[in-house]
Amino acid sequence: MKTLEATKLADLAAALTAAGYRVIAPCQRGDQVHLECYQAGKTLRADVIPVNSAKDALFPRSEVIGRYRFEGNEFETVPVAPQAGKTVLLAVRPCDAAALAPLDAVFNWDYKDEFYNAHRDATTVVALACTAADDQCFCTSVGGSPDSTANADAVLRPADGGKRFILESLTDKGQAIAAAGQAVLTEGQAQADPPAQVAPAFDSAAVTAWAKDGFDSPLWKELSLACMGCGACAYTCPTCHCFDIQDEATRREGVRLRNWDACGFGLFTKHAGGHNPRHDQASRWRQRVMHKFAYFPERFEMLACTGCGRCGRLCGNGMSIREVCSQIEQAAQAGVK
Amino acid sequence: MVANINEIQSAAAALLNEGKVKLVLGYRVRGNDRVPAFVTQADQVGCLAYDSACTQNLAAYLRKGEVRSRMPLAVVARPEVMRSLMLLTAESQIAEGQVTVLAVDEQGFHGVLDLAGTAKLLNEQYARIAPDSSLMEQLAKIEAMTPQERSAFWSEQFEPCTRCYACRAACPGCFCERCIVEMNTPQWISTAAESHGNFAWHMIRAFHQAGRCVECGACQDACPQGIPLMLLNHFIAREVEREFDARNGYDPQAEPVIGSWKQDDKQEYIR
Amino acid sequence: MSNLYQPTVMRIASARDEAPEIRTFRLEFTDDQYKQDFYKKYRVGMFGLYGLPGAGESTFCVASPPTRTDYIECTFRRTGRVTAALQDREAGQTITFRGPYGNSFPIDQWKGRNIIFIAGGIALPPVRSVIWNVLDRRSEFGKVTIVYGARTVADLVYKDELAQWEAMDDVELITTVDPGGETADWKGKIGFVPTVVKDSAPSPEDCVAVVCGPPIMIKFTLPVLTDLGFAAGDIFTTLENRMKCGIGKCGRCNVGSLYVCKDGPVFTVEQVGKMPQGDL
Ligand code: SF4
Ligand code: SF4
Ligand code: SF4
Ligand code: FES
Repeated sequence: MKTLEATKLADLAAALTAAGYRVIAPCQRGDQVHLECYQAGKTLRADVIPVNSAKDALFPRSEVIGRYRFEGNEFETVPVAPQAGKTVLLAVRPCDAAALAPLDAVFNWDYKDEFYNAHRDATTVVALACTAADDQCFCTSVGGSPDSTANADAVLRPADGGKRFILESLTDKGQAIAAAGQAVLTEGQAQADPPAQVAPAFDSAAVTAWAKDGFDSPLWKELSLACMGCGACAYTCPTCHCFDIQDEATRREGVRLRNWDACGFGLFTKHAGGHNPRHDQASRWRQRVMHKFAYFPERFEMLACTGCGRCGRLCGNGMSIREVCSQIEQAAQAGVK
Repeated sequence: MVANINEIQSAAAALLNEGKVKLVLGYRVRGNDRVPAFVTQADQVGCLAYDSACTQNLAAYLRKGEVRSRMPLAVVARPEVMRSLMLLTAESQIAEGQVTVLAVDEQGFHGVLDLAGTAKLLNEQYARIAPDSSLMEQLAKIEAMTPQERSAFWSEQFEPCTRCYACRAACPGCFCERCIVEMNTPQWISTAAESHGNFAWHMIRAFHQAGRCVECGACQDACPQGIPLMLLNHFIAREVEREFDARNGYDPQAEPVIGSWKQDDKQEYIR
Repeated sequence: MSNLYQPTVMRIASARDEAPEIRTFRLEFTDDQYKQDFYKKYRVGMFGLYGLPGAGESTFCVASPPTRTDYIECTFRRTGRVTAALQDREAGQTITFRGPYGNSFPIDQWKGRNIIFIAGGIALPPVRSVIWNVLDRRSEFGKVTIVYGARTVADLVYKDELAQWEAMDDVELITTVDPGGETADWKGKIGFVPTVVKDSAPSPEDCVAVVCGPPIMIKFTLPVLTDLGFAAGDIFTTLENRMKCGIGKCGRCNVGSLYVCKDGPVFTVEQVGKMPQGDL
């Protein structure tokens, strides 16, 4: 089997960079760990769950989807093609890999989104099996697991008490990674470490069932009281995919941008005429939960939450989806509508 | 936990029982976290907690419709939060009678105050809140940089910004219904989450905080991307202090530093 | 795969002001391929994204029927940055367009039946495409009644066409303006749309109704139709949610699990009744 010394993760990143990949990996940035583009000198941290998700690599926070030139009062459209270079998501958690399923679904049902698919096709996913979880992780409550290989092209498994990784290739793309990283990999034996224990947080089926008739529940007001509508949870969530389209122009040229957006923002559904169907934070939080646990499963037969716990780790107001779903489950058990 | 936490609880219970407030905004403990508590019944005050880990600036909730509709209310407020309340009073967002203060600091509870009483306490007890020394060191380093180095430094800091505007949402002072970044006729600031747009956003945010930021740290805490917003905030606050002799959030009648003109302004900016 | 967000360029063949702040463009395709693809898909009720680079895109219906194949038309109100920029364009200039998107009115299922169209104010355009489509295939349908109201006489759109419909023997046209909105020479009715519908008492017998207008008009017209005996499944309307992408990606138009841009904008009142009302 192919193994990689734990200290050589950065070397693998360097080898893949040299082989022409854009390497998105967990890099130290100040006192945080970010999934960002590896560059020589950056420290890689496989031991910390990064604050952000990997979706930026497939669905960039800002992407040019149109281009124009102006001549006086006239304009001409300039074709744009996705700028999708060969990319590897190196050592992303199984919950990040899992998030590709809902993204694939929404960007491909009916109309196929050229930009997303170009990035997706150019991307190889090397997952990192989790041997430790923190108290926000709940992948096992939403159909995932700490050693899941779903959507992964290869997987790095910590082995021998964290001294090295076993690299397993699962697809042709994964094989290509093993080949490109040849120089830093060793052929040998290693004992995979046991996967992390992730305690169940809530029963997602109960949440889905409650949500089906829960639209008008008075509970949403109480559940959402602490939310400030900052949208940070949606921006860091690996599955959230709402976007806005904005034009920006100078006198001579302009671009049309697709920027991330969030259903938690007050302006998201506000009509030009002033009417806003989701007029308070309670209705916006309801959308957040319903979309992930009721609407998305209804249309795409999967949850739109992978249990990564990011929203819980970062929300200063304690509004993790895990916490809210647990409260919903309790309400469901108590027969509260 | 502060020693006299039960005094906060009984003060909150009394306010609710006497019908003086409909809601007490405070903190409670959940696991390792401190999360906001919204107490509406006197028999729930037992959950109220306070210690130095309670860092959210609860004054930011005063902008939220669902909270405003429960005025009059009481807020558990440390000095920075009290300063936010002074700012909000000066900028006509709240008025005496709408907000009661449960004054706290790391030593404990210091009583129930109205806004005028809060102003008095702030100026008597907390007139000088020493700025964080490690931040001051970093600032000194930045000030020593050449303009090119400085611009490269900030570009690097702003690079991860996703433009989620969580920093704005967490700040009590950011209460505009439509923020300048959302105005599009004309569009003032690029919405693109990349170097130019990010730079413009952070400059605008910093300037709109000039003379207003109370240095509570809520924006930086809220930022999922770890952008060192407090560096900018401290820098601007020191600059305002130097140029205008003003410290933000101490005077509930203060004229806006940037929006008003005084005969004795130093005017060193006009060169 | 191609760039879904890449619009085509349309030339404004003519522009006319309908009413204060309301303008109609007649648009010609500059790209033949796009035109052919458009007509392969286009059915009445579908919408498009009309745009001006630098300002952005805005969603409104295609106001001309598929039976008119030389041009498309759109009529829209000035409400914000994009619509203002679009309205400032003149004949001969260009704008962008992508579409058609969304579902359509199932008019083929209405063959042989009577149809009553009820529209208020700026909501005549989506109905107008259906009206012309039906009139262009007149023999396939039964009795056609049109009830159209606006706040004042000046607010009525498509005044020429109202005159044409008025002159047709096989169309019953009832126009009305709100009390106080009439002029000295106004010959139509004076009163709110729901009241006018009630007074004219159309028979629900083998009849479908198409109702589009401001929410308040719809709210008061529906009970009138129900009282007259119209089944909720025979009353059609369109939803006007905010949209950005138009193609089921951006999440803005969601009502419950529906994507209004894909599953709508045309729904029966029965379907609307089952939606989570708090998202409307
Ligand atoms: S839940 Fe938390 S992170 Fe998400 S929008 Fe609300 S306050 Fe922000
Ligand atoms: S909702 Fe929260 S836990 Fe679920 S995938 Fe998104 S960020 Fe992770
Ligand atoms: S600085 Fe942080 S909180 Fe503010 S917009 Fe950028 S990423 Fe969001
Ligand atoms: S308008 Fe974007 S999903 Fe419907």
